[in-house]
Amino acid sequence: MATPQIILTSSDGVDVAVERTVAERSVLIKNMLEDLGDSGEAIPIPNVNEAVLRKVIEWCEHHKNDPPSTGEDEDNRRKTTDIEEWDQKFMQVDQEMLFEIILAANYLDIKALLDVGCKTVANMIKGKSPEEIRKTFNIQNDFTPEEEDQIRRENEWAEE
Amino acid sequence: MADNAELESFRREWREEVARRSKPRSRAAPPSAPAAAPAPPRLPPTAYEAIHRKELEEEGPPPGSFDPDDLARQVDDLSVKPGEREEEDEFTRQAQAEPNSALEHFERAVEKEAAGNLGDSLQHYRKAYRLDDAVDKTYRNKHFAHVWNKKPTAQPLPSDTAAVPVTVPAAASAETEVLPTSELIASFAHLPILPAEPLIEKTPPPPCPIANVPSEVLIVILRHVATRDPSTFARMALVCKQFAYHFAHEQHIWKQICQRPEFGFQGMHYDFACDVIGQPIYTLRGERYTPFPEGVALEIPKPLSSWSQVFQSYPRIRYTGIYISTVNYMRAGAASAFQNVSWNSPIHIVTYYRYLRFYPDGSVISLLTTTEPVDVVPHISKENMILARTTKRGAHQLQASTDPGKSFSGAADYVPPVAMNTLKYCLRGRWRLASPVATEDDEEQGLECAPGQEPAPFDPRDLVIETEGAASQYVYLMNLSLRSPNASKSHTNPSKNTKLVWRDFWSYNKITDDWAKFNLRNDRAFVFRRVRGWGLD
Repeated sequence: MATPQIILTSSDGVDVAVERTVAERSVLIKNMLEDLGDSGEAIPIPNVNEAVLRKVIEWCEHHKNDPPSTGEDEDNRRKTTDIEEWDQKFMQVDQEMLFEIILAANYLDIKALLDVGCKTVANMIKGKSPEEIRKTFNIQNDFTPEEEDQIRRENEWAEE
Repeated sequence: MADNAELESFRREWREEVARRSKPRSRAAPPSAPAAAPAPPRLPPTAYEAIHRKELEEEGPPPGSFDPDDLARQVDDLSVKPGEREEEDEFTRQAQAEPNSALEHFERAVEKEAAGNLGDSLQHYRKAYRLDDAVDKTYRNKHFAHVWNKKPTAQPLPSDTAAVPVTVPAAASAETEVLPTSELIASFAHLPILPAEPLIEKTPPPPCPIANVPSEVLIVILRHVATRDPSTFARMALVCKQFAYHFAHEQHIWKQICQRPEFGFQGMHYDFACDVIGQPIYTLRGERYTPFPEGVALEIPKPLSSWSQVFQSYPRIRYTGIYISTVNYMRAGAASAFQNVSWNSPIHIVTYYRYLRFYPDGSVISLLTTTEPVDVVPHISKENMILARTTKRGAHQLQASTDPGKSFSGAADYVPPVAMNTLKYCLRGRWRLASPVATEDDEEQGLECAPGQEPAPFDPRDLVIETEGAASQYVYLMNLSLRSPNASKSHTNPSKNTKLVWRDFWSYNKITDDWAKFNLRNDRAFVFRRVRGWGLD
């Protein structure tokens, strides 16, 4: 019994076929299909390019049988650091791709994928000094030395 | 007679020396509080130094404080000060550029002493003299050569200026117009994350994909960072302005940290959760008390106004490091049989440490030892304690002790013999904070206070620890209380409740039902130090 397929069109104009149940991991697509009905027409995903879209679909394929999450609360109770092994491997991509996936997950409203992405970023930050964090993400230090000192003093209490 | 004059001046110096020596003791004689026990100024580590020290003091003003009360206060938050806050802990040998020569050690020692850091200072003095027993002369030649030709007019510096260490923080320029911090942070609200400048001019800058992330996603990332380790969250705030803004304004993150067990108050125990040797207590009662339960509407307790303040100032035990109490005391040694001049009798400086490591399951490890933090602290864990205690009676029992039913996670890490030998003396125990609600259950209540003692009025900062004793019939009862370190010039807003001050310390004999009180004359408050990797996943 073949599940019905739908077509997604990436921002760079490539059509990607995907099982409807897989695509429905995205709350955005799910709602869209419910509202519009399945007309057979391609659904445009204007914010996501082909490479990222294929990556996201790969994730949805693997997780298509996951029980739906029951929301924020249960998520908070779970051990925060846990990332499934498969997801860890999946997230071993360069930083640009990682943030593209996070943005796509945010846009497509795939909460579990967004969480995995954000946890991956959090792991990259863990245990680093401010300067190391800046280096990791190529962030400019936009404080003046005085401001930096002021903030350091203000937040000193949280360092231990 | 030249000889006579010399003798006279020598006598005078000697009298001054004696006067100086006896004064601090008599002044600090009434023991007011255990935390303010006398700390004689400028403790000389050896008798040898004691005679040379005097010369040093008269040659010129060393940058030290001579007010014993002041020193006592400084010594109070003693000894294992982090050199650099960025470092996650200082329990590794290579932490900072270590001095090599005897002179460097001596200089470091003087510096530490001036900063009130007596424990470290002593270590450096000891090392310096071990390397070169005339190091003080070298030091004098280097630093006080310019006063040699002048009349020594050395006056002890007034204590307030003396407390300033050699490196004055450059941030003392409060004259420049400064926005109040809250306004400053508020002004960061909508600032973007700026990508770093290119390393080489006129080349494309390195990619900075995080700059494109909308703030609602950044907040999710920050939440994950914060719930892993709030101190990393604090460091995030120093990365750029936008993070600093979120750090101050995302109060729901702070609320979550407060409620979660890893760092927050869900993880605190207000009744004993296990027995003295760490076996969990099973109870038929429902929920244990917790100040901020999940799933009910919570109010921020007055007078606080935000969840970050709650996290900051509510009494809380930390699992991410060790609590250390460093005790230095002086003991007069016997005079040498060959010299009957009293000022030449040795004075021993004894340094010992008390360590406490708390666990979220309600257990605690207590260790009293002379082994220095750097040698033992990274290895203090339940696994190593079990290993050390089971191999106590000899190496041949090592094989026998590894029974297949038990797995020692982390035991694979190499533990140096010096740490292993120390860890044998670890005592198992349990802890709880003072509970605002009465507990009927005896087991969870623990020992009542000693006879003749009024039960202390409820103070949420009070901490009770029961540990094994030196022999099996004893239980030790430590009554401590959480306190915050004083703000200093370099640390204006230090972490709160990181100190444990003594209330009292008892030994209870289970067989004879006897109570005995330990003398805490020399004992100092515990101070908290983070240890890399502890309490984090």
